[in-house]
Amino acid sequence: MTSGLPVPSQVGHAGISSLIMDPECSQLLPALCSVLADPRQPVADDTCLEKLLDWFKTITEAGSSLLLLQENPCLLGLLCHVLKPQDLSPRVLSFSLRLAGMLAAQEDCFQYLQQGELLPRLFGEAGPLGGAAWTAPSVRSGWIQGLRSLARHPSALCFLADCGAVDTIFSLQGDSSLFVASAAGQLLVHILGLSLQGPAEGHPGLQTGDWPVCAQKIVSHIEESLRSAATPQITQALNVLTTTFGHCHDPWTQVLWGRLSPLVACLLEKDPVPAAHSLVDLLLSVARSPVLSSSSSGLWETLAQTLSHLSPTQAGPLALGILKLQECPQVLRAQAFAVLLQPLTCVLEATAQAPGLLDSLDGTGGASVTVDTLLPSKAACVGLLCRTLAHLELLQPLPQRPSPWPQAPLLGATVTILRLCSGSATPTSDAGGHLCAFLVGCVRVQRAALDFLGTLSQGTGPRELVTQVFAVLLEYLTSPDSSPTVLKKAFQATFRWLQSSPETPGCSDLDPHAHLFLRELLPVLPKRLCSPCWEVRDSGLEFLTQMIGRWGGQAGFRRALLASEVPELTEQLLRDPESYVRASAVAAMGQLSSQGLRVTPASPEHPGGQQKSLLAELLHILSTDSEGFPRRAVMHVFTQWLRDGHADVAGDTERFVARVLQVASQDLDWEVRAQGLELALVFLEQTLGRPSSHCPYAVTPPVAAPPSSLAQALRPLCRVQLFEFAFRALFDCDRPVAQKSCDLLLFLRAQTASYGGPQGSGSVPEVASVEAALQRWQAGDQGQPLGYLEPEVVVAVLRSMDLEGLRGALAESSDRVEKSPQSLLQDVLATVGALGEDEADCY
Amino acid sequence: MPEIRVTPLGAGQDVGRSCILVSIGGKNVMLDCGMHMGFNDDRRFPDFSYITRNGRLTDFLDCVIISHFHLDHCGALPYFSEMVGYDGPIYMTHPTQAICPILLEDYRKIAVDKKGEANFFTSQMIKDCMKKVVAVHLHQTVQVDDELEIKAYYAGHVLGAAMFQIKVGSESVVYTGDYNMTPDRHLGAAWIDKCRPNLLITESTYATTIRDSKRCRERDFLKKVHEAVERGGKVLIPVFALGRAQELCILLETFWERMNLKAPIYFSTGLTEKANHYYKLFITWTNQKIRKTFVQRNMFEFKHIKAFDRAFADNPGPMVVFATPGMLHAGQSLQIFRKWAGNEKNMVIMPGYCVQGTVGHKILSGQRKLEMEGRQVLEVKMQVEYMSFSAHADAKGIMQLVGQAEPESVLLVHGEAKKMEFLKQKIEQEFRLLPDAKKPRLLHGTLIMKDSNFRLVSSEQALKELGLAEHQLRFTCRVHLHDPRKEQETAMRVYSHLKSVLKEHCVQHLPDGSVTVESILIQAAAHSEDPGTKVLLVSWTYQDEELGSHLTSLLKKGLPQAAS
Repeated sequence: MTSGLPVPSQVGHAGISSLIMDPECSQLLPALCSVLADPRQPVADDTCLEKLLDWFKTITEAGSSLLLLQENPCLLGLLCHVLKPQDLSPRVLSFSLRLAGMLAAQEDCFQYLQQGELLPRLFGEAGPLGGAAWTAPSVRSGWIQGLRSLARHPSALCFLADCGAVDTIFSLQGDSSLFVASAAGQLLVHILGLSLQGPAEGHPGLQTGDWPVCAQKIVSHIEESLRSAATPQITQALNVLTTTFGHCHDPWTQVLWGRLSPLVACLLEKDPVPAAHSLVDLLLSVARSPVLSSSSSGLWETLAQTLSHLSPTQAGPLALGILKLQECPQVLRAQAFAVLLQPLTCVLEATAQAPGLLDSLDGTGGASVTVDTLLPSKAACVGLLCRTLAHLELLQPLPQRPSPWPQAPLLGATVTILRLCSGSATPTSDAGGHLCAFLVGCVRVQRAALDFLGTLSQGTGPRELVTQVFAVLLEYLTSPDSSPTVLKKAFQATFRWLQSSPETPGCSDLDPHAHLFLRELLPVLPKRLCSPCWEVRDSGLEFLTQMIGRWGGQAGFRRALLASEVPELTEQLLRDPESYVRASAVAAMGQLSSQGLRVTPASPEHPGGQQKSLLAELLHILSTDSEGFPRRAVMHVFTQWLRDGHADVAGDTERFVARVLQVASQDLDWEVRAQGLELALVFLEQTLGRPSSHCPYAVTPPVAAPPSSLAQALRPLCRVQLFEFAFRALFDCDRPVAQKSCDLLLFLRAQTASYGGPQGSGSVPEVASVEAALQRWQAGDQGQPLGYLEPEVVVAVLRSMDLEGLRGALAESSDRVEKSPQSLLQDVLATVGALGEDEADCY
Repeated sequence: MPEIRVTPLGAGQDVGRSCILVSIGGKNVMLDCGMHMGFNDDRRFPDFSYITRNGRLTDFLDCVIISHFHLDHCGALPYFSEMVGYDGPIYMTHPTQAICPILLEDYRKIAVDKKGEANFFTSQMIKDCMKKVVAVHLHQTVQVDDELEIKAYYAGHVLGAAMFQIKVGSESVVYTGDYNMTPDRHLGAAWIDKCRPNLLITESTYATTIRDSKRCRERDFLKKVHEAVERGGKVLIPVFALGRAQELCILLETFWERMNLKAPIYFSTGLTEKANHYYKLFITWTNQKIRKTFVQRNMFEFKHIKAFDRAFADNPGPMVVFATPGMLHAGQSLQIFRKWAGNEKNMVIMPGYCVQGTVGHKILSGQRKLEMEGRQVLEVKMQVEYMSFSAHADAKGIMQLVGQAEPESVLLVHGEAKKMEFLKQKIEQEFRLLPDAKKPRLLHGTLIMKDSNFRLVSSEQALKELGLAEHQLRFTCRVHLHDPRKEQETAMRVYSHLKSVLKEHCVQHLPDGSVTVESILIQAAAHSEDPGTKVLLVSWTYQDEELGSHLTSLLKKGLPQAAS
């Protein structure tokens, strides 16, 4: 393989090469190029070529491409070789085009490749473009991506014009492969931006007639497309403009929009409006551009015109986009909001709600739209309502949302929609009847409405409406027809509404209104906790955990909860067949117990009850549950208990920690082991005297006097065998465990230093034996347990270890060796011919 | 011709991150949502930007369908639903719903453990995603909305794998996912009825291959394991949590039993119980043999296969260990590999595909000196074997499925472009899918006249459009039997006889005294004239026509004499 190109000058590049590619890779590269150039040696794994390009990208971005070519002539050889007529794989051809583009991104390298006429042969008519390989989408894609990389400098622009590439890109905009078509559009935007970077930047007053030829050609093409009768061509032109105005805010975009906006406006005169979706995107992109929105006089009129021309479905996203704009005329905002609210107005009207609500929803006071025209069929009705509710949900939390925000009518409309869906609304009009028939049982609308209802909890509403909100939520939570996904959303919305309820002054308890609701809600919860669907049981438990976390300390809530079956049922769910539910039950029980809401055997409600202690129950789950989720949930609860000084733990903390660590250290799930170390860290902090936050309802453990000596401080840690766990974990096969252990021991070492003095003077044989064990563990042997370690030995071992070095090594991801370029090259070379026919498979 | 648009967002002409967008009759359905294990960046997931630009995903997409639990078909699902923002329904079969989160969780743990990726989906996200799933039964027509319906068919391949028919009005598409047309140790063969879709989207992993009998591969596998164990070596079999692992476990368990071998077999990470649980739960999804044996003995309750403890790896003597993950790229399997690699008596058997960059890929490509962390070089002296136990249809199987479904057009995905081209020609040759005006074509359907227009539509569609109720047509036949006993006793004798003869079918004796075999109903009645004769009234649907005829001919031969 010879390039026939002159040897490039090395002046000015001395000393850089070593930074570009390491010698091992340089050595392997010729073999790689030979393999790629040989059609009889197909590269088995298609990800390899992608990764090779990633590597070349890093290299070319970091250093000189010319030098890379000079040091590795095999690359040039490969590029020349792929041009020869042969049965080369489209993947390799595509790879070569992309590589050539990457290299030619630097002007000196571009000039060098031009000297050998290599680039026209690769990207011009004489190359793959005119051959059979062009039928492969991967080759067309490679051609575009190659040019995209190459187009970085003025010389590239001349090249594009000379080789007729722009015309090919125009035609590729309509390519059968979506990926190719989309990339072609992006490339046009890039070329337009590049060609105007120099000339138009300096002269903002320059008209398009004075623009470089390449840019003029693209503009003419866009104009032609906008005038076309074919929607796909119009869409392509609109998409190119949207991307251009979205990415570039240079003054020349103003000139461009000035020239093209009349053509865009003409589209609105057609019926139906072609490519409405793309048109909306373009207009919003123009409105968001600081350059265009401030200067374009007719923009707001065009937007207003578009809003009124488009169908309600098409106008929704435009209305939302307008309302999200920071700067926009008030009239247009009002019009946009009216468009957005139209479907809800329609619902309220059809269900004969109070006219006062309608006025505030439909600010324009224009002719109201009927259900028949706006929501003519079930599909149209469902689609439009879902979209409207979602748009309003997005708008609600924004600072630029319309003001005043019609909270009450929106609440009214949402509650009405939910009632229509559940069948509990009894509309009297025909239109209402139609709506009811469309919406009854519609899960999609229920989900969207519940999401929006939850968002509306951030505002306030008249008491009467809030009562209705709670009533409809209760209806959904109670209804046997509610699907699991709907129930989940109903629980979420309920929690948000309860949270937003005003608290009773002084006692931070739930307001009487919410409290009343809670009394009705708690009898519903047991039914959901007994649901045959695990999704429902789980959502019920998640809701319960949130509730206890928020109101567990409040007397009214506590009374209501204890009077219900909920605590007992929750405990039963610890043995649920579904692991997700068991994990949620563990979390809920942990909360119940922390708040003193678990019905204990000693309680007067259950005299003579033979109940196992929760601690024992959770330890049992930790040791025996076959799934990781419940075990992880237990560790989370235990850590929280230890942190909060939970009564069951505070009684004999050392015994608790020792038992938990013993079980957690044996767990096969690394996340449980990592959480074990988290718990160890909490214990360590408590033992060494760092203050930790206490839960107001927890039993406060007796405050230990600060230990007088280091040995005394470390003794409890030694007794719970924390060090054996931590030292073993340092060499755990799962990296996060090792990292956590390393951090823990580093923290401990720093703490021990504060006690001062060389106290790490354990007996030499003991220290040596621990160090020997550490070496065995590092080598992968399990070995015998260390048994009790004296604090002095621990300190000595800690001080002798290179924990910083270990932490550094662990900070690197464990597949960095496999991910290295050298490994990639070795793999590609080794794979050639090694894998059989059936290498492709699923996993 | 109806307009059906298919946009592969992944696995168009490659394997990995299967994700196909189908637009049919104004509905948009996403078929599978897989990931590519060969990449660690954005490229591991399908390019969803093509659909996010169409506005809110939940509004744009009517549903997502997952064909089976392999990660290249479901690995991007939590990302798509919890991070990209799809909030609509996700359909999959019951076993897929049960097993999917386990594999997703495994994948998440490896990504976080090995690569330390922070911006990754969490356990909570997997759970929230699974809560959006609607589980379906085989052959159950599920109405996604008023216009869109879907139906699942058995696909073999792995437990719970299904092919899906998507239907809007009279237009339909069948998506196969991955399937297997030959039964294996634990699963049956894929099957679909003559649903005649407008389009069949089929995988084509083995588009040009006629695969050898799996028996040969199984024999080879057992021989290799046996040899290694006999010479005192240790055998490591890296596997993914569920699927192929269970097939190989059954194979080894049976072999150990037969050969009376004593070397221990271990299975890591508590997977035995988990797998056992799911296979027991979904026993109807396994093959006939396992279902039948299940009555006497659960084939997944292994006698020889025990749970693995990390300390066992250092035990002396031979052993076989199944450990995760399957590509030797992290965790326990890699740890054991590092321990055992240096001994030439040991063996590692890779039963599946490994992506570039993994230790599995390296050793399969023949590399024997591996650079590990900290510049350590690991010399691989142990024997390395690759045995593909993947369960995809080969070229013959794909042709068979095309023949079964009788589609108007076929779209090949999940394979290599070159091989697809070859298969395309074969299909065109054999089935002449291209319209040939001169050649008569057989059309099935119901001609309906509505609004002065004639249209040929499927019978289900015709019923729907005309608002008619379906009537079931049953074939009937009377068989006379000489039997002086009471009708109930005759029915009991018929039941016992058929139960012993038709072992492949579900024979039931109902409380009202009648006997059923699949859809066939048999009732015994007294003869109006001859008290010594009983009349068997047999009826069946047209779907079971073959079985109905077979059964009547059986009954006509009479019942065996009862043992005295």
